[in-house]
Amino acid sequence: MNLTLIMTKVFLKIFSRDRQAIIFSLIFPLLMMLAFGFFNSGDPEPIVVGIADNANSSLSQDFIDNIDENPLFTVAQGTEQSLRPQVINGNIGFTLVIPEEFRGNPANIDLRVLIDTSETTQMNTVIPLLQQALVDVERDLRNLEPLFDLAIEDVESRTQSYLDFLVPGLLAMALMQIAMGGSGFNLVEFRRKGILKRLFVTPVQPKNFITGLVLSRLVIVIIQLSILLGIAILLLDITFIGNLFNLYVFIILGTTIFLSLGFCMGSLAKTQQAIMAMNMLMTWPQMLLSGIFYPIDAMPSLVQPMANLLPLSFVVNGLRGVAIEGANVITLMPNVIGILIWVTIALGFAIKLFNWKEVAT
Amino acid sequence: MSIVKTENLHKKYPEPGKKSEFFYAVNGTSLTIDAGEIYGILGPNGAGKTTTLEMVEGLTDIDEGDAWVDGISVKQDPYRVKKIIGVQLQANEYFDHLNLSELIALFSQLYGRHDDPLDLLGRVNLDEKALAKPKELSGGQQQRFSIACALVHEPKVLFLDEPTTGLDPQAKRNIWELVRNLNDKGMTIVLTTHNMEESEYLCNRIAIMDHGKIIAEGSPQELILSHAPEPPKAPLHGNLEDVFLALTGTGLRE
Repeated sequence: MNLTLIMTKVFLKIFSRDRQAIIFSLIFPLLMMLAFGFFNSGDPEPIVVGIADNANSSLSQDFIDNIDENPLFTVAQGTEQSLRPQVINGNIGFTLVIPEEFRGNPANIDLRVLIDTSETTQMNTVIPLLQQALVDVERDLRNLEPLFDLAIEDVESRTQSYLDFLVPGLLAMALMQIAMGGSGFNLVEFRRKGILKRLFVTPVQPKNFITGLVLSRLVIVIIQLSILLGIAILLLDITFIGNLFNLYVFIILGTTIFLSLGFCMGSLAKTQQAIMAMNMLMTWPQMLLSGIFYPIDAMPSLVQPMANLLPLSFVVNGLRGVAIEGANVITLMPNVIGILIWVTIALGFAIKLFNWKEVAT
Repeated sequence: MSIVKTENLHKKYPEPGKKSEFFYAVNGTSLTIDAGEIYGILGPNGAGKTTTLEMVEGLTDIDEGDAWVDGISVKQDPYRVKKIIGVQLQANEYFDHLNLSELIALFSQLYGRHDDPLDLLGRVNLDEKALAKPKELSGGQQQRFSIACALVHEPKVLFLDEPTTGLDPQAKRNIWELVRNLNDKGMTIVLTTHNMEESEYLCNRIAIMDHGKIIAEGSPQELILSHAPEPPKAPLHGNLEDVFLALTGTGLRE
């Protein structure tokens, strides 16, 4: 049997028996996915509206019912004195005070709203909705037909949630962590144990060894990412409209970058501590800046040009493009080129740094 | 007939702590080992024993000179040499998660063979440990396992780097018997040691190395006769340890 194949098989056997490593490398992206999956499910939490009804009339009752029907609000009735402190401590979003004159055929009545104006986002959503509720009540009262109505039509046949945006990014992040950690740590470990030396007095050549390590890691990464993707699609019901071939092209190319970078670190680092520090230096900036959690466009404009050139950014863009836009390798060509440039750089360094006669001793 | 030959081997390393200065770890070593011999390389720590072996094994680049195994030049054809030599290194850790039987099977496959690992483990009395991990073995068992890994392809020459260092007397004797048995069946064995008893008991010929050079060579008896200082009145001839200390001095080495 071919020596490369023998090495690949043996590494696969070793890695697949390291259950702890497999499980723990899946836990972090899984937890993130599940957390965001549950946050995003269903409607947003309704805002509690306190209403002090001083009129107690059929008109005020109509108005309260109108507000209660809106899914954004739940109504809590009480007196102004009892509701005011609850607005202050934040239990209640705001309180409406309905004056006594709110009955019969009223005119020019002011409704007072008790609200914490520092909560600007709440202000901006709440005030128009309240005004709309008042307009509805007024129309009913005056028997007016509305002049205009908005008919909302969904032009995008699929709706996109934050989770749809996040999952491809998390896949890319998991890919980076598994690939980068794996290859570099293995190299340092095998050297320190004298395993590299022992292998290189057999007919195994460095190219058999490296290719075997890369191929086996690729298989492991593909299996782990498939598990994550499967969970995201089946359990969390994310939108995935791309085709798998394009997705795996990006996964394989991306894994190659980070395996090569891992080899660079493994060739340079003399100890496990050193490689841990290098690993942090390489992975953290990319996790923060590659648009995994929020788009690069939303970052400070000074950071954007650099963020766009990070290897992980290309992988994130590629995976996300395929998953939620149904893009393919051709339409995502700029990212493919970016990835290929990084593969060349990383592989070049890895080959230059991995002088096995020095690395082995 | 010679099976291992080195000619004027040199290896230089940067002087520790001093930039741009070099020292020769191996400084012109020439030796000839005959087929069927047990050949010992003796020397204090840092004498260049391991570096010499690693150059012959193709693990370390040869700066000057060359080495041949069975007529094949290590410099020109290292991978043909690696196919006919078996090597036991000082460090003997292996991949986690693989047991003895799987490791032996792996090493066999690397030489294109598919022998039953249990046969080989039986030869070093480890067949009952076939499913254990190397870490679970005692020191002597680990050393026997390392030798077994070096035997998977029935090499023409077996290199053992300090095979009994750190072992108790029983385990040591056990390794000696194993080495003798292998040699009885025709295998050439090259070993490094700083155990005088070991070289006297096992080796047909010995080279004493110091400062990267071979300073004496011969059978244990010859070396004792020509180098051991005659004690003034005692009838004894001294032993190899006297030879070793007379040649390399009593200063502590590290």
